Amino acid sequence: MLVDFLQLTVAGLSQGSVYALLAVGLIATYTVRHVINIAQGDFAMLAGLGAVSMVAGGVPLLLAVIFAIIGVTVASVIMERLIISRVKNLTTLVSIILTLGVSTLIQACMLLAWGAEGRRLPTFPGSDINVAGISIRSQELWMLGALLVVGGGILLFYEKTKFGKALRAVAEQPVAARIVGISPVVASIVAFAIAGFAGGVSGVVAAPLYLATWSAGLLLGLKGFVAAVLGGLVSFRAAIIGALVLGVLEQYVAGYIDGGFKDAVAFLVLILVLIIRPQGLVLRQSAVRV
Amino acid sequence: MTAQKTALPAAQKRAPRILQNALVQWIGVAALVVALIVFPLVASPTLMNIGVFALIYALPAIGLSLLMGLAGQVSLGQASFFAISAYAHAMLITRTPIPEVLAAVLAVGVSMLIALLVGWPLLRLRGHFLALATLGLGFIVYIVARESDFTNRTLGISGIQRPEVFGMEIGNNGLFFYFVAPFVVIGLILALNLTRSRAGRALSAVNDSELAAESLGVGTYSLRLKVFVLSAAFAGLGGVFYAYHVRIVTPEIGEFHLSVEFLLMVVLGGLGSVWGAVAGSFIVELLRDGLRAIIPTIIPGATGEVQLIGYGLVLVLVIILLPGGFVGVVQIITRWVRRMLGKGPSTTARSAKLQGASDQTPTGAFSAAIAEEEAQRIDSAVEQAAANLPEMPTPVATGETVLRLEGLTKRYGGVVAVDNVTFDVPAGRITGLIGPNGAGKTTCFNMISGAIAPTSGTVSFLGREVQGRKPNVAASAGLTRTFQNLQVFGSTDVLGNVYMGRYRNGRAGVLRGMLGMQGAEQRRHRDVARDILDALNLGDVADLPAGDLPFGRQRMMEVCRALALEPTLLLLDEPMAGLSGAEREVLAELLRRLRDAGLTVLLVEHDVAQVMALADQVAVLDDGDLIAIGTPEEVQANPKVIAAYLGTEEDEAEQVLEGVAAVDAVRSDDPKEDDDA
Repeated sequence: MLVDFLQLTVAGLSQGSVYALLAVGLIATYTVRHVINIAQGDFAMLAGLGAVSMVAGGVPLLLAVIFAIIGVTVASVIMERLIISRVKNLTTLVSIILTLGVSTLIQACMLLAWGAEGRRLPTFPGSDINVAGISIRSQELWMLGALLVVGGGILLFYEKTKFGKALRAVAEQPVAARIVGISPVVASIVAFAIAGFAGGVSGVVAAPLYLATWSAGLLLGLKGFVAAVLGGLVSFRAAIIGALVLGVLEQYVAGYIDGGFKDAVAFLVLILVLIIRPQGLVLRQSAVRV
Repeated sequence: MTAQKTALPAAQKRAPRILQNALVQWIGVAALVVALIVFPLVASPTLMNIGVFALIYALPAIGLSLLMGLAGQVSLGQASFFAISAYAHAMLITRTPIPEVLAAVLAVGVSMLIALLVGWPLLRLRGHFLALATLGLGFIVYIVARESDFTNRTLGISGIQRPEVFGMEIGNNGLFFYFVAPFVVIGLILALNLTRSRAGRALSAVNDSELAAESLGVGTYSLRLKVFVLSAAFAGLGGVFYAYHVRIVTPEIGEFHLSVEFLLMVVLGGLGSVWGAVAGSFIVELLRDGLRAIIPTIIPGATGEVQLIGYGLVLVLVIILLPGGFVGVVQIITRWVRRMLGKGPSTTARSAKLQGASDQTPTGAFSAAIAEEEAQRIDSAVEQAAANLPEMPTPVATGETVLRLEGLTKRYGGVVAVDNVTFDVPAGRITGLIGPNGAGKTTCFNMISGAIAPTSGTVSFLGREVQGRKPNVAASAGLTRTFQNLQVFGSTDVLGNVYMGRYRNGRAGVLRGMLGMQGAEQRRHRDVARDILDALNLGDVADLPAGDLPFGRQRMMEVCRALALEPTLLLLDEPMAGLSGAEREVLAELLRRLRDAGLTVLLVEHDVAQVMALADQVAVLDDGDLIAIGTPEEVQANPKVIAAYLGTEEDEAEQVLEGVAAVDAVRSDDPKEDDDA
């Protein structure tokens, strides 16, 4: 009984780490451009499918993964340059419609390139471990590790480095940011590169366990978004914690209630959070206006 | 609550002027009716099928276009309201014996109820939260429909009989087309009426400047909520027809892709244009069928939702290249054709009028001769204004308290911007609020007007506490304001701006607006607005776009707009800033006359000399504290005030007051202070 519970918790944490990486990417762009990128999850799927194809073509797994991540990072920057930056007066609301278009476009391209069938990436090296009857798959450790390294790294970059802090300042005080030497254009490119990178990583670490499918990115990205809302769209820490909680909650619902309702959990949480506490789980009363 | 732009950019949502014209509208409706009658007679069976779906989808699209154009909000879950109603209708008519019309009404009602429950908490938040919550709702509806036995899981609800109208079965696409078409036409007319109604104009004012609209009494939140519920009703009606037409309702109709399709119809047709939504639904349905036919021939083996590539591409391209959508393109072509025919509104004539307008504005009165002329003009301007001033209702006797501030405090983190300020504003008087830079004047002003909430303390207007409420609460009781950084409603003309000032005095709501039953009321308020413009010498520019006026006249227009509300208390935020000397004279004289007519005025002003000359009572803030209040003479003599303005120590300032010699001494000691003095 307890073993089941812990088993579900482990599965939930590893699934939640994927949401967390996506949430980190979303916050990275939201704090700098006030853009909500609906296509974030599609970048994850793109990385997963890209890596699968490369492995199928004989590229070693490690290289395939690296190439896929780089490719998606570049794709995210291209999206910023070709599409996001082209719209004048880009309000958050318009950004949602716009990136929804991008998301639809990427999905359709993936459908045409890879077909409707889901594909699986080979498991990363490592062996499964067993602690007190709870089995932890090596891939799950990779997922948690990716969150720790990449998510933690982005968090530290934004919160501790001078450049990272200046990036956040761009959204609030573009003029001031320019004075300290950060142009909004550079800031925006860097933010989308970071978001693409985080999305790519989440896609490749998840692809061995969860299938990479053309249409799964939207739902995945939206769950990342729910986690980001839990962080008030500004706090990396709260979003990461929120994502892990969300992943675990989903597993409990799947395990104890009904697997079919698993995907509804995130959106129920979203609506409840927006109604009860729209500033997210951020404890400190920040200057965020809602 | 500040002028945060929650809405879509104005350029993208403004209904084209050409289609606002009532005559053009009725010609358009007539043309649409003819087209809808002819279509089934000429269309091929394939096209007929597309046409029926386009009509069904036009209803949710019209609803969404109202939401986006009027409320400035986006729903990414329009398909969920469509699906809720389709399911409700299907279940009611297959499982219960209730009449089909009643079932349809109930089904639409369920959609509206869900919209109310979702919108009620969420429309208080910034725009993108509603978009995301409706997206979440869409997934929840889809998953619940797929997983619950009540909705028969993936099998869905089948066995829906074709509808009968006067005993005739609507048995084929042609008849079904005629069955739906009247609802689309009526829906279109109702929606068009709404955009031109009191509520519709108020919402487009909100999209220009939420703060200004709320300061005129517009309850943004409740209007938006009504439009959201209305948009769900349109979606719900579409859902009922869908259930009848397809005769089986499965979870797929709640899928996100359908919401994207509705969004695409509205964006492609022209954001916020009701006509665009109808056009968009036909274009998207044609696109869908075309793409599904073409793509597999280009890319062999492509199956499934291949039309999505077109949707994505079109959505992105339209937003980047054609923010006006289909209607925008039609508008550009119309203008081009008109110019070719030489009939267009001559831009030279308009700019000449504008030039004349700015010539009349007293600016640059430097030479004596001009100054003389100016003085005469000011006199005549003020005389004329005084003759036709609107009535100033005064609910309390002159001298009694209209506004009472008690212990008003605002803290930002550790910084106290306004500290425990208490004073009364008497009726029929001009009260000036002054203070050095950073004294907390504007913070204080914003707490009174409702733009920001105080940390503690109360603001009582006519005995009613209004602090921390939205500006429209105080505005509907008769307190309004002007803005230092002008908040002009750029999407309408000068008359339209002042007409918005009449909002509080109107009654017609959303329903009456949709039924078009408020023409008389609108005309009456329009006449009042024109009278006020005439009285304040802005009659000549009444029909110009408000944004085209020179600064000084825009400020006067804001004063007109505020006066149109028939306020008890008028708040003026640095009214003299940016005006020329002569313009200041005109405004000052106007304010005196308005006071004599019974209006109470509270103004925040940087220009101390102006306030001393104009105000009956002056309150002085320094570093968040109220340091003096009284007549201009009393305040001028107050040592604390002098200290605050001269930046000297209090005892030093007392010396200042002791005599001219002492003043001279202080001044010679510090030449910098001499400059300040």
